[in-house]
Amino acid sequence: MNAVNQSKPVVVGAEASVPIKTVSIDKKALSGYLLATPPLLFLIIFFLVPSILLFVASFWTSKTFTMIPAATIANYARTLSASGFYDSLWISMQNGFWTATLSTVISAPVAYYIVYKTRSNAVLYLALVSWFSSYLVRVYAWRTILGTTGVINSTLQQFGIIDQPLEWLVFSKFSVIITLVHIMLPFTLLLLVSGLRDIKKDYLEASADLGGGGFTTLWKVIIPMAHKSIVSSFMFTFVLAASDYITPQLLGGRDAMTTGLLIANQFRSVGNWPLGAAMAYLLLAVFMLVYATLLGVLRAANLAPGKRYHD
Amino acid sequence: MIRLFTYIYMLFLYAPVALIVLFSFHSSPSLSFPFEGFSMRWYEQLLGSYDFMTALRNSAIVGGASAVLTTILGTFSALALMRMKGRFKSIFAFLNFAPIALPGLFLGIALVILFSLIGLPRSLLTVIIGHTLFTFPFFVESVRSRLEYFDLSYEEAARDLGASPLKAFWLVTLPIIGPTIAGAAILAIALSLDEFLITIFVTGSETTLPLLILSMIRRAVDPSINAASVFMLTLTIAIIAIAGLVMTMRRRRLELERAEPAE
Repeated sequence: MNAVNQSKPVVVGAEASVPIKTVSIDKKALSGYLLATPPLLFLIIFFLVPSILLFVASFWTSKTFTMIPAATIANYARTLSASGFYDSLWISMQNGFWTATLSTVISAPVAYYIVYKTRSNAVLYLALVSWFSSYLVRVYAWRTILGTTGVINSTLQQFGIIDQPLEWLVFSKFSVIITLVHIMLPFTLLLLVSGLRDIKKDYLEASADLGGGGFTTLWKVIIPMAHKSIVSSFMFTFVLAASDYITPQLLGGRDAMTTGLLIANQFRSVGNWPLGAAMAYLLLAVFMLVYATLLGVLRAANLAPGKRYHD
Repeated sequence: MIRLFTYIYMLFLYAPVALIVLFSFHSSPSLSFPFEGFSMRWYEQLLGSYDFMTALRNSAIVGGASAVLTTILGTFSALALMRMKGRFKSIFAFLNFAPIALPGLFLGIALVILFSLIGLPRSLLTVIIGHTLFTFPFFVESVRSRLEYFDLSYEEAARDLGASPLKAFWLVTLPIIGPTIAGAAILAIALSLDEFLITIFVTGSETTLPLLILSMIRRAVDPSINAASVFMLTLTIAIIAIAGLVMTMRRRRLELERAEPAE
């Protein structure tokens, strides 16, 4: 009897402790959902709902700045049948492609240097600070440097190297892309550094020990292992540069009419919001297509270890 | 080789900005060399300009208000993410990040449609909402990784000892996560100060600092753009430096505490 009595409290305690634990876990999860409510409401009201409204509005019609509810695909049909849209898309895609490629390729050696060659983060922090030096200030800086009366042209003229200012320096594809690359570099650097940090130096050394040269190591080890951060670096930069309309406008000359500007104009000067909404969703669809193509190309080249890589 | 490349890279990043700083002190309106001497005239002109002071005031209001909103909402998010698990957590985390995966243009036009349909006139208030949507994901991202070390059992201990949830948060959680949150809040101000892609669409007649600079660049060659740019640059970098300092100081203290656990 005594022994049973003594053992009883222990059993009760053990039994009790299990349900108490589960209750506290449920409470924790519940408090998590409760805490998530205010930000969730904010995101639903000011992000999800507006995105859906933008989509819905793309099927509406418009009369100068007034939207009229309807269910028509006229905006899509009109956009897709106008050559201006394709012209703008071509310019946007070129801006996106060159900016994303150049920024990623130029930042890659620096990311390598930061992760494997130096232990200090000074370079990374310095680059990030320049990321915060306003976008507009940098656009303006490039205009000052490349302009017809700008630093390069006036210096070259003073030394008698050229008679007339070099027109192609400013208001050209060149000026737009050099400016966009300058703006995006710190961002691509940050993404590439965080990708390389996941690859231990041992892997690179193992590759070298097995006789892999620098190029083989890059191609067979670094790129496949870091492909996620390379893809995000490329895609983020591509989307930001391709949808940009301020830099092309301030530096682009004939190439100013990007799809971004076309969309912005529908909302600001033209006043046909539903048409602009349709264009915005078409642009998003193009971005998805670019993303799928990029992944496909990397997979086909065995640079993105998906399922196929392990087969 | 690679070190040299890195130096050239940094030079490329900073030289154009340095040039603007230099020309902001130029005594002549010319934006080319030779440099004719230093003067403060463009700064004097700027500080005497009604447009500039108005834009500065608006930027301060928007930056302050959106940082406060971002901090409140973002702290809720961070605390929720610490407690959530599984699929809901990943959906919620994705939603928190999603606004900055889209271009600012898209957010701007989507918000403008919402505001016009619910009849909210465009004003500084709509700008504040737009900025909060933009700074909120950055806030959550920068706070999240740093909160992973936070041990929820501290809070549970306080609750077991009879503290109300609010009291446990106030006395235990906040002192621990406070500096991280402060750093991210300051970062939000800096991001708001620079934002104009959304602002262009959601503002009424009000200008902010970037909008003023944009209109100055569009209008004509006005050398006080340089001074305005440098002003904005200094402001942003100072804010970032403070944020960085707050966050590193916190980490230093934590590392010291970890180094001497027995006390």
